[in-house]
Amino acid sequence: MASMTKRLDKSGQIKDTILGIGKWILIVFFAAYTLLPLIWLTISSFKTNFEVLAKSPFALPEVWQFKNYHNALTVAGLGRMMLNSVFVGVTSTVINVLVASLAAYTISRFKFKGKEKLFLLFTVGILVPLNALMVPYFLIISKMGLYNTYAGMIILYTAIGIPMSTVIIRGLMDSIPMEIEEAAYIDGCGSFGRFIHVILPLARTGIVTAATFQFLTCWNEFVFANLIVSSDKLRTIQVGIRYFTNQFSTDYVSMYAAIVISIVPSILGYVIFQEQIISGMTSGAVKG
Amino acid sequence: MKPTKSDRKVLIAFLAPAVALVVLFFVIPVIYVAVVSLLKWNGLTSAEFKGIDNFVALFKDKAFLRSILNNVIWAATAAAIQVPLAMLMAIILSRKPKGWKFFRTVYFFPQVISGIALATMWRHIYNAESGLLNGLLRLVGLGHLATDWLGGMDTALPSVLIYWVFYVGYYMVIMMADITTIDESYYEAATLDGATPFQQAIHITIPLIKGTSLLTCVTLASVMGLRQFEQVYLLTNGQPANTTSTIVLYLYKQMQTGNYGRSSAAAIVLIIVGALFIVTIRKLFEDHKKDPKRVIEKEAK
Amino acid sequence: MKNMKKLLALVLALLMVVSMAACGAKKEESKEIVINFPCIWVGTDAKAPYMAKLVEEFNAANAGSIKVVIEEQTDYQAYRDKIRTLITTGNAPDIFSVDNPQELANFSATGKLMDFTSALEGDWKATFNDGCIDPYIYENGQINFLPFESAVIPLVYNTELLAEVGYNEFPATYSEMMEMFAKLKEAGYNACGQMAAENAWSSMLWYSQLVASIGGPDVYKNGLEDPAFVQAAEVLREMYNYTFDGAVSAAAADVNGHFIARDTAVYINGCWWIGNFYKEENAVDGKLLADVVDVTGAPTWEGGKGEGAVVTQAQAFLCAAKQDDPAKEAAIIKFLQYITEPTRISEWEASSGSMFFIEHEPAADLKEISKKFAAVSNEANFTVYTFAQSVPLAVTNELPAAVSALANDVVDAQGFVDMLIAARDNA
Repeated sequence: MASMTKRLDKSGQIKDTILGIGKWILIVFFAAYTLLPLIWLTISSFKTNFEVLAKSPFALPEVWQFKNYHNALTVAGLGRMMLNSVFVGVTSTVINVLVASLAAYTISRFKFKGKEKLFLLFTVGILVPLNALMVPYFLIISKMGLYNTYAGMIILYTAIGIPMSTVIIRGLMDSIPMEIEEAAYIDGCGSFGRFIHVILPLARTGIVTAATFQFLTCWNEFVFANLIVSSDKLRTIQVGIRYFTNQFSTDYVSMYAAIVISIVPSILGYVIFQEQIISGMTSGAVKG
Repeated sequence: MKPTKSDRKVLIAFLAPAVALVVLFFVIPVIYVAVVSLLKWNGLTSAEFKGIDNFVALFKDKAFLRSILNNVIWAATAAAIQVPLAMLMAIILSRKPKGWKFFRTVYFFPQVISGIALATMWRHIYNAESGLLNGLLRLVGLGHLATDWLGGMDTALPSVLIYWVFYVGYYMVIMMADITTIDESYYEAATLDGATPFQQAIHITIPLIKGTSLLTCVTLASVMGLRQFEQVYLLTNGQPANTTSTIVLYLYKQMQTGNYGRSSAAAIVLIIVGALFIVTIRKLFEDHKKDPKRVIEKEAK
Repeated sequence: MKNMKKLLALVLALLMVVSMAACGAKKEESKEIVINFPCIWVGTDAKAPYMAKLVEEFNAANAGSIKVVIEEQTDYQAYRDKIRTLITTGNAPDIFSVDNPQELANFSATGKLMDFTSALEGDWKATFNDGCIDPYIYENGQINFLPFESAVIPLVYNTELLAEVGYNEFPATYSEMMEMFAKLKEAGYNACGQMAAENAWSSMLWYSQLVASIGGPDVYKNGLEDPAFVQAAEVLREMYNYTFDGAVSAAAADVNGHFIARDTAVYINGCWWIGNFYKEENAVDGKLLADVVDVTGAPTWEGGKGEGAVVTQAQAFLCAAKQDDPAKEAAIIKFLQYITEPTRISEWEASSGSMFFIEHEPAADLKEISKKFAAVSNEANFTVYTFAQSVPLAVTNELPAAVSALANDVVDAQGFVDMLIAARDNA
C-alpha cells in the first residue's frame, strides 16, 4: 500500500482521502445501526411502562427499574431453557454438518448416475416451507417414539438443515483442487481417510458457514419447539420468550427485559466463540 | 474420479444418512403436501378431491398474488442490495482497517439475536408515538416525516424490508472468509501496476469470489427472501391490507383457518417459484463458476 | 488431524446421549395415571396462579393414583396450532381447551373427543348455566365440549377524562358518544383505543358491539349482507380519527398501555382483564386504575334493532380425548369436576376477574369492577358473541386486513364488508 500512495499525485491523494472518509462513514454507520437500537432497547428495559409509552424516546429512566429483570426471570425459567437451546443447537449442528459434509463430499468428488439430480433434490429442499409440514413432521416424530424428547428435536433440526448445509459445503468442496486429494489417493489413503484427513480440513470455511447457519436456525426455531415437545424440562428459549410477548400482555418492560436476557448470552457466547468460528472460516484457506 | 468397488460401498455409506434424512423429512412430507394440495380438507373431517381447484383459487386471490410479488421483492432486495452491501463491507474490512475485528463482531450481532427479539425491538423503533425513528426525525427537525411506519400503505413494506437489508454481518463474514483465501501475490502485482484499491476490488476480489462465496450469499439471501415469514408475521402480520404478506405467511394463515388444501397448494407454488429463482441465479453465475482462478489469470494478463 | 478425531469422538458421545435421552423418556412405568394438559392459563395469565394451585392440590389429594401434568403453553396462536395438529394426527391431548366456537363442529366430527354425556348425568350438569351446553352438541349427538370460561365485554371509561370534557355520565347514544369523542380529541386525549395488527382485537370488539347495536340479536343469521355491517364499518372508520397515532400498526398491548397511561378515555375488553385494574404498577399518583374507571353497556343506536346489546364471548371450552381405559377416563372426569366445582369457581373468579359458565356464589371478596361487569351482563336485553366467534374463521382471519385497509382509506365501509364477504366465499 505504502509504495502505491507514494506514487499517487495530488488529485489521487484527494480521491484517496475521500475514499478513506467514505470508508469510515460506512464502517461507523453499520456499527451504529446495529448497536444503537440494542442500547436503546436495553435502556427501555429499565423504564416503567408509563415511561415507555411516553412520547420521549430519548429520555433515560427516572429510576432504573431492576425489578423488570426480576419479573422476567421469575415468570419463566429462562436459564434452563437457554441451556436446552444450546444443547439441542450444538448437538444437531454437529450431526448435521457431519452428515452433510459426507454427502457433499460424495457429490462433489464421485461420478455416479443421477448425481446432479440428487443434488437438485437437495437444492429444492432448501425452499420447502416448513410451516406447511407441521402435520407430517408431527407424525414422523411421534411414530418414531420421539415426541417430547431431546432426540426428537435434534433429529428434526438436523434433518431440516441438511439441504442447506449440503449445498453450502458442496459449493466449497468443488473449489478444492482435485490434485491435492489425488496425491493422497496415490499415497494409499482410503476414502474415509481422505475425507477426514484431506477434505474436511480444506473445506473448513464451508463447514463453518453451514454450521453457523444451522446453529442459528435451531436457536431461532419456535414452531416445532412448541409442537413436538410438551415437558417444561425440554423447552427452549424461544418458547420462554413467548411468556411475555403474547397478546394479553400489558407489561412491555418485562418483555423488553426478557428479550435483553435472551440476547445477552447469545452475544456473549458469540463473542467468546467467534475466534473459533471466524478463525475456522478464515484459516481453512485454500490458496489458489 | 471414478469410484472403485470398495469406493462404491463407501459412496453409499457416505450418502446414506443424508439421503435417508432428506427422504424422510423432505421427499415424503412434500409428496404429502402435494397430495393435500389437491384436496379440500380441514385436517379434521373427511377430505374431498378437488383437482387443481386450490391452485385456481390461489391465483384469483389478490392477497396471494401480492404475497408472491412481495417475496420476489424480498429476494431481489436481499440479493441485489443486501449482498452487495455485505460484499462492500467485506472488501473494506478484509483490508484490516483499525478495529476491524471489533466491527466484524458487531456486524454479526443481529444474526445471533432471535427473530422475535429483533421484531419486538423494531416494532418499538417504528412506533408512531414513542419510537426511536420518529423521535430522531423530530430531533433533527424533520418531524413532519414522522408517521405510522408499519401501518401506512406506502411505508409498511419498505419498513419491514429496509431494517433487514442493513444487517449485512452474516454475508459479510462468509465473503471475508473467502477473500482472505485469495493469494496475496495478485494484489502485490496489481499494486505494482498502480491499480487503486477500488480497481483491485473490481478486477481481482469480486471475480475471484463470484463463483464461490458470492454465489453462496446470493443463493442464501434469495432463499431467505422467498421463505420470509417470521419477521413479517411478528412485525405486521401481513398488514396493512395484506400489503406486507408473504407466501409462507399466507399459507400459515390458511392453515389456521383450517384450509389445509389451499395452504398446501401455496407451499407447492413457493417450491416452484423458488426453484425457478435458484436456476436463474445459477445461470447468471455459471460462466465464472467453472474455474474462477483461471478467468482471473486471463484477465490479469 | 487430531482435532478431527476429537470431533468424531464428540459426535459419538453426543449420539449416545441422544439415544439415552430417547430411551429415558419412554421408561416411565408406574400405576399412576398421568393426565397431560397443554394449558394456556400459565405464566402471566390472570388465571395462572389459581390454576397452578388447583393442580398442585389435586395431585396432592390423589398422590400415587392420578397425576395431572400441565404443559405450559405460552402463545395463543401456537397453542391453537398445536391442538389442531394433535387432533389431526390422532393424538388429542388428554385435556385441552378451545377458544373459538367456530372450530367445535369440526373437532367433534373427528370422533376423537370424549363424550361427557354420562358423566354429566346427575349433579354435575346442574352446576352449568341453563342451556349453555346444548348449543355445542353437533351431529354425533355427544357432549364433547364443556363451556367453561365466559366473558362479558362492556365499555370501560376513564371518569376523570370524561369529567374534564364535561361528561359525568356516559353518553346514551352512539351519536352522542361520537360527539364526546370529538371533544376528547380536541382536549388532547385519545377517545378510544383501536388497533389493526395481530388479530385487530380491539377494533374487532368495537365492531362487534356496533354490529350488535345496529343489527340486533339476529344480525349474524342474516349474514354479512346485512346492512348493519356496512353501517358499523362507517362508525369504526370514524373512531380511527379519535384514537392514538399509529393505531393501524398497534397491538392489543398498545391499546392496553394507553388506557393504563390514562391518555385514552374509553376502552373495550373482556372481564379477564379485570386484574389489571388493581395492579399497583398501573397506579398513577397513588390512584389505582380501578379508582378512576366506570363500566357501561353499549350505547343505543337510534333506529337500530339492538338496544341494550352486550357483547360476550365463550372464552374457553374444556375438552378431553376419547379414552380406551375407563380408569383414565374416570380420572380425567374427576379432575374436570374438581376444577369446575362451584366453590372453586368462586375463588377463581375472585382471583382472576374471569367469568364462568358455571353457577356459583359470588365470592365475598369479589372486586368492585367485577360486580360492575356482572351488572352490565345482567342488565343486557340480549347478548351476542363477538364478531370473531360469530363468523367463519376465514372471515376473522381477513379482519385485520380489512380494518387496516379501512383505516388507511383504501376501501370505504362497503369495500370493507366486501373484503370480508370475499374471504368468506373464497374459503
